Amino acid sequence: MSDNIVGIEYNRVTNTSSTDFPGHQASGDFSWDIEKFKQNFDIDIKYLTERTANFDLVHIDTSIANAFRRIMIAEVPSVAAEAVYMFMNTSVIQDEVLAHRIGLIPLKVDPDLLSWVDKTQDENNRYTEDNTIVLSLDVVCTKNPNAPKNSTNAKELYRNSHVYASDLKFEPHGSQLEKFKNNPVVPADPNILLAKLRPGQEISLRAHCILGIGSDHAKFSPVATASYRLMPVIDIREPITGALAVNFQKCFPPGVIGINDQGEAYVQDARKDTVSREVLRHEEFDGKVKLGRKRDHFIFNVESTGAMSPEEIFFKSVRVLKNKVEYLRNCPIGQ
Amino acid sequence: MASPQREGFSIPSSISHAALGQVTSKSLGVKYNCAQCAASFSLSKNDAIRCKECGHRVIYKSRTRRMVQFEAR
Amino acid sequence: MSTDEPMEDVQVAQDAQENEYDLEKIKLLPGASEDGTAASFQIVDEDHTLGNALRYIIMKNPEVEFCGYSIPHPSENKLNIRIQTYGNISAVEALHQGLDNLSELCTVIEEKFSEKIEAGGYATVEP
Repeated sequence: MSDNIVGIEYNRVTNTSSTDFPGHQASGDFSWDIEKFKQNFDIDIKYLTERTANFDLVHIDTSIANAFRRIMIAEVPSVAAEAVYMFMNTSVIQDEVLAHRIGLIPLKVDPDLLSWVDKTQDENNRYTEDNTIVLSLDVVCTKNPNAPKNSTNAKELYRNSHVYASDLKFEPHGSQLEKFKNNPVVPADPNILLAKLRPGQEISLRAHCILGIGSDHAKFSPVATASYRLMPVIDIREPITGALAVNFQKCFPPGVIGINDQGEAYVQDARKDTVSREVLRHEEFDGKVKLGRKRDHFIFNVESTGAMSPEEIFFKSVRVLKNKVEYLRNCPIGQ
Repeated sequence: MASPQREGFSIPSSISHAALGQVTSKSLGVKYNCAQCAASFSLSKNDAIRCKECGHRVIYKSRTRRMVQFEAR
Repeated sequence: MSTDEPMEDVQVAQDAQENEYDLEKIKLLPGASEDGTAASFQIVDEDHTLGNALRYIIMKNPEVEFCGYSIPHPSENKLNIRIQTYGNISAVEALHQGLDNLSELCTVIEEKFSEKIEAGGYATVEP
């Protein structure tokens, strides 16, 4: 089973491709067996907060883990502003720049509550209360008569001088009043600065928000990012003791290498390692240590933008892959 | 992506400040802003091109009240 | 006579279902062998996400001699996948088995993940 380690040397990587296919190795049956997979495969959740999830997928192939990562970034649907109707904008931010910024604001909307916009419909009938959420922004900047003298702070001198994402107000239409009663539509981060105004300047617009996917435009991606790294492996070949062990410990981030009572260095927590290969730069450790990564152990880090919880995003990505496969399975083969 | 003529959306139920008090039958007065004192005023045909308040002769036309649509991309 | 009517209903329902599926999604490319054990397929609107995962699962099938995929041009959303078998099953069967296996795999992952989420025992703050 040590074949599942990708070797890392100072100037190359070795043993990179997966060989768990029937016929690739002399021993071992690698043909697909769902029961074997069920037994071997494991998920280990390290921590799960409102916005971040860090979990391990063990004994799964790169192609599947990568498929999930790609789907989380590009194919899990979420809601963002698509059409912005400007009624008045006398600020220094140009119309199109302001519209672009509004599109990028992540909204706290459960994508399951909206349906997809039918592009085949005529534009007048396309946006209905089932597939569109309307947000409005109406801000006028005025002078503050009660400002302290000699103040230079714009927030004291003027009223509404800063336009934040929290100023976007949800306008429910028809059945949306009921649907969004308990979870009103708000931006996921209220403190995003959209524009700065001075007295006399005014912004008045409506934004129509619809369902979309990240591959269409990055504003629809539900994750700030979703990434994985492979579990590092540090193999100490010969014992390293004394002062050498202390130097060895310094070559790795704190917590990776521990020194036991006999003064010997041992691997305390390989997960904390960033694989900087610093140890390979020192001649005194030549031959004593081998670095590598486990080819089938993926440490996922999913950072959500706020619309959905990160475990929900991963769950949806697995669903999306399953739906793709089922759809293809049922499609008739042409020609 | 400005498309000033297209109004293919449901008219918003609450009218913004911009739309409030909009004169539906536009009289001849076209709104202008002074370059120096930023005062807003109307001029009709054959009026002298001067600010009503400070008399400066460089004026800008006010932003249109027409709705403009953009794609947030 | 009484057995004919239920059959017609089933037929109509199946036709309605088939119309939902895209006829352009997957096609057989020229270059297939006579007995169907080797074939190339072209799938539209798919990329490495499905291609690599499918290739992996199909290669795990002991009956499959060769399976590879390519994206002919990155600007076009087309995926070519070639399957060659040892002769006991056809390429189309290998593809279908691969798709079914991938679907099973996703189900196992979903179940395992929900199980782990419900079990709890993980930190709820970032260390």
